[in-house]
Amino acid sequence: MISKATRVAMAALLLGASTLAVQAEGWMPEAPECIAPANPGGGWDFTCRQVGKVMQDEGLIDKTMQVVNLAGGGGGVAYAETVNKRNDSDDLLVAASSSTATRLAQGAYPGNTVDQVRWVASIGADYGVIAVAKSSPITTLPELLAQMKENPASIAVAGGSAVGGWDHLKVLIAANAYGIEDVRKVKYIAFDGGGEAVTQLLAGSVQAFTGDLSEAKGFVDSGDIRVIAVLAPERLEGEFAAFPTAREQGVDALGANWRGFYAPGGMSDEAYNAWVEKVATLYASDEWKAVMAANGIAPLDLQGAEFDKFVHESIAQIQSLSREIGIIK
Amino acid sequence: MDTLTHLADGFTIALTWQNLGLALLGAFLGTIIGALPGLGPSNGVAILIPLAFSLGLGATPALILLTSVYYGAMYGGRISSILLNIPGDEPAMMTCLDGHPMAKKGMAGEALSLSGIASFVGSIVATWGLILLAPQLVKIALLFGPAEYFALFTLAFATLGGVSSTNQAKSAFAAALGIGLAMVGVDTQTGVPRFTFGEVHLYDGIDFLVAIVGLFALSEVFLFLEHRHGASDAAGKKIEIGRILPPVKMIKDTSGTMIRSTGIGFLAGVLPGAGASLGSFLAYALEKKISDKDGTFGKGDPRGLAAPEAGNNAAAGGALVPMLALGVPGSGTTAVLLAVLLSLNITPGPLLFTQNPDVVWGLIAALFIANFMLLLLNIPMVGLFTRILMVPPRILMPIVAMVSFVGIYGISGSSFDLYVMIGFGMLGWVLRKLDVPLVPIILGTLLGNAMESNLRRAIAISDGDWSALFASPVSLVLWAVAIAGFLLPIVVGKVVKSRMHGARQTAQSEEMDATD
Amino acid sequence: MNTRFLSDRIFGLVGLALAIGYALSARAIEESFLSDAVGPKAFPLIIAAVLGLASAVIVLRPDPDPVWLALPRLAEIGAAILVMVLYARFLPVAGFVIATAFAATYLTWRLGSRPIASVVTGICISLGIYAVFHLALGLSLARGPLGF
Repeated sequence: MISKATRVAMAALLLGASTLAVQAEGWMPEAPECIAPANPGGGWDFTCRQVGKVMQDEGLIDKTMQVVNLAGGGGGVAYAETVNKRNDSDDLLVAASSSTATRLAQGAYPGNTVDQVRWVASIGADYGVIAVAKSSPITTLPELLAQMKENPASIAVAGGSAVGGWDHLKVLIAANAYGIEDVRKVKYIAFDGGGEAVTQLLAGSVQAFTGDLSEAKGFVDSGDIRVIAVLAPERLEGEFAAFPTAREQGVDALGANWRGFYAPGGMSDEAYNAWVEKVATLYASDEWKAVMAANGIAPLDLQGAEFDKFVHESIAQIQSLSREIGIIK
Repeated sequence: MDTLTHLADGFTIALTWQNLGLALLGAFLGTIIGALPGLGPSNGVAILIPLAFSLGLGATPALILLTSVYYGAMYGGRISSILLNIPGDEPAMMTCLDGHPMAKKGMAGEALSLSGIASFVGSIVATWGLILLAPQLVKIALLFGPAEYFALFTLAFATLGGVSSTNQAKSAFAAALGIGLAMVGVDTQTGVPRFTFGEVHLYDGIDFLVAIVGLFALSEVFLFLEHRHGASDAAGKKIEIGRILPPVKMIKDTSGTMIRSTGIGFLAGVLPGAGASLGSFLAYALEKKISDKDGTFGKGDPRGLAAPEAGNNAAAGGALVPMLALGVPGSGTTAVLLAVLLSLNITPGPLLFTQNPDVVWGLIAALFIANFMLLLLNIPMVGLFTRILMVPPRILMPIVAMVSFVGIYGISGSSFDLYVMIGFGMLGWVLRKLDVPLVPIILGTLLGNAMESNLRRAIAISDGDWSALFASPVSLVLWAVAIAGFLLPIVVGKVVKSRMHGARQTAQSEEMDATD
Repeated sequence: MNTRFLSDRIFGLVGLALAIGYALSARAIEESFLSDAVGPKAFPLIIAAVLGLASAVIVLRPDPDPVWLALPRLAEIGAAILVMVLYARFLPVAGFVIATAFAATYLTWRLGSRPIASVVTGICISLGIYAVFHLALGLSLARGPLGF
């Protein structure tokens, strides 16, 4: 039973949406679909669902975005599906992030390369942090790295990704920038997610933590851990401004976990441009700003060709680093 | 009495008609999701998140809806365990061991209502534990580093032998098989693929839901196909469902069990990385050690039913401690609830209790409401659930099979998972014929990776020094219990074993068919 | 050797073979330069050892045989497996409702319903599951050429 008031409200909503739609670009997806290459609940799933919701609220799409969970291979199954079976679809977006780029760079999607899809746009980034427990004698990043250089076994760094994954690479980027010759000596302990890694930092099992700002936020606020470096180009805004960047401490290391989308390689230019435009409009909307603020996502505003270039560059960087430390040949 | 004031505030937030309605809806949907093989609590919550969003709910109502789903699924999992011998979700696997034999004895009604009560006791006590002890419990969680977790998992596997089979070798075989299957996929420590044979679908490993549904549900379908013309055909046999309420004596007899199991389940839940399955398993293992004097466990002993149900629901409550206080999910479901909190702009962590007291206490009030709702919903519905037994197998079994397929396909969207599930179905059928217990396989696939990861972390932290595994008092205690748990059934269990063997042999037909 | 224990002896030998195969493929795991102290091989090798040991005990101390079935019953189960595999294969192509109706009809029929009753039951099961899982819970099920 839908009450009369609800029906009127819905009609108004639909009407509003369609007027907005007419005002926007001409091309509209017939059945907008977003593949989240993981089970419900993770970061990719979040990207699809939140973007779908905000796009509909803003009238950028006139139908509900259907979210399809296609888990497997750390995103590899969805990548293969997009390349092999959905190559001509104009209605499809797939959620991606730095870990997609890392796996592509390390050849972990067998038979697939970065050029088989069209990179649409980013929707934000999560900057990497390096932190220690509050009781730790170490207070700056150079201190930590100096001790690591002198006695690698004395510092165990915990992170939420596998060895060679993004959390690990962030420490290695910093170690590399500091001038540690053999970064393979850096003792990295892989945990199942950032939360578990922080807990082990508190429990005293490890000496340092590498992860994303959003993972560490609660423990920083409570004073249990101390952020000694943010891997951002400059200090972040608002409450995060207190954290020093690695750069200002003389360690030229950057590490952003970006989130964004790719689309099938055979997507028409008309549809591709329309999607780029839609994500750009979404990014500029107040509702999306609120979502970003709520989830600790930092700005990263790249669309279309710019985003494509960014993804290629970060893959090249990860590749050279991975080759250097011997994860790939 | 600060706590009680907070709790009262929580109830004033939570007790509105809208919230009670949401709790009822959540409890109902959760029960169904839990009872359907293939959809467990974590998927249930994940599936219903969009519902919470599309209803435009605020933080507290959304949490009430989703925690009701969570607890509902924890209650619901037992229904298919008892009635069909198919666990609706992974923590309900231990419930099969005594719950289904009870149903076979014509006590399905008692089994369902008793397990409902046990679930209720476990949940309520655990919720009080959460309220009164959360800050202290966090300290316990921080006592557990990788070495301690490894010892804890070893303890679970060491006590397996006494639990589910009369044949220790077959238990060990099943556990090793389960752990071995868990190794499939990209190694979480180094990122190299293991046992994947170049198949990209295997990179994420084998989902234990696929294993559990294949091993239990599909093999059950095969068994029915096999026996369709058998002598034991149920045609004309009157199905007894028993009473709707358990006799007071049964509740009295199991009250000690419930208290013990709640305690152990709650502790297992508090440790992130152990979770509800380990809670119900340890509760059952302990109870069997304490109470099983006559070898009635596994044959429909009400205590063997009450233990895992109280244990897994207490663990579900316990798992909220690390999730709220540390932001670390103790189980798959709390991982999803964590995602919900994050998307509601609430960051769980050490400051949650002081920064968002309304959310925390609203949530705790929601837990109480959900539990009473579930008890009220479950007891009268026992009669309805037992009707499932009246459905003839020729209709029920295809439903079970198709629901299993859909549950798996709907989550992962991959045909490959379905093939793997069929493989597990065949494996389950053969192993059942050979009297190899299935529970250790599931326990192995569930805990295998965590066990290995923690071993490797512990050794990596100590720079290759294996004695680090025995370095702390906590780990020494766990090792001692593990060794005792492993040796006791071998020494003491001989008597029971020979008796059980005799019983089985007489029950078994002597006729021999030639097999391949 | 007493034939009453044959099943378990064969089972144990299969288990031993499995353990050896498992150990061999564990040894073949490619290790990257970057590894932890234990590495990805050690634990699987321990598990292979436990698997092998348990299998050996099963060979040496077997349980009595279960009741195995006559050939036609075995064929019955084989056919059911085939239908399930076909179902998994054609689900994404034919769409959920159609594929499920077929598979459910087959199983209902083989479990002892009459043909017409089976078809009706199969279609009802398919539509019922579609209603609960897709319409009520909003899971994305396979979409066929007809849109369901």
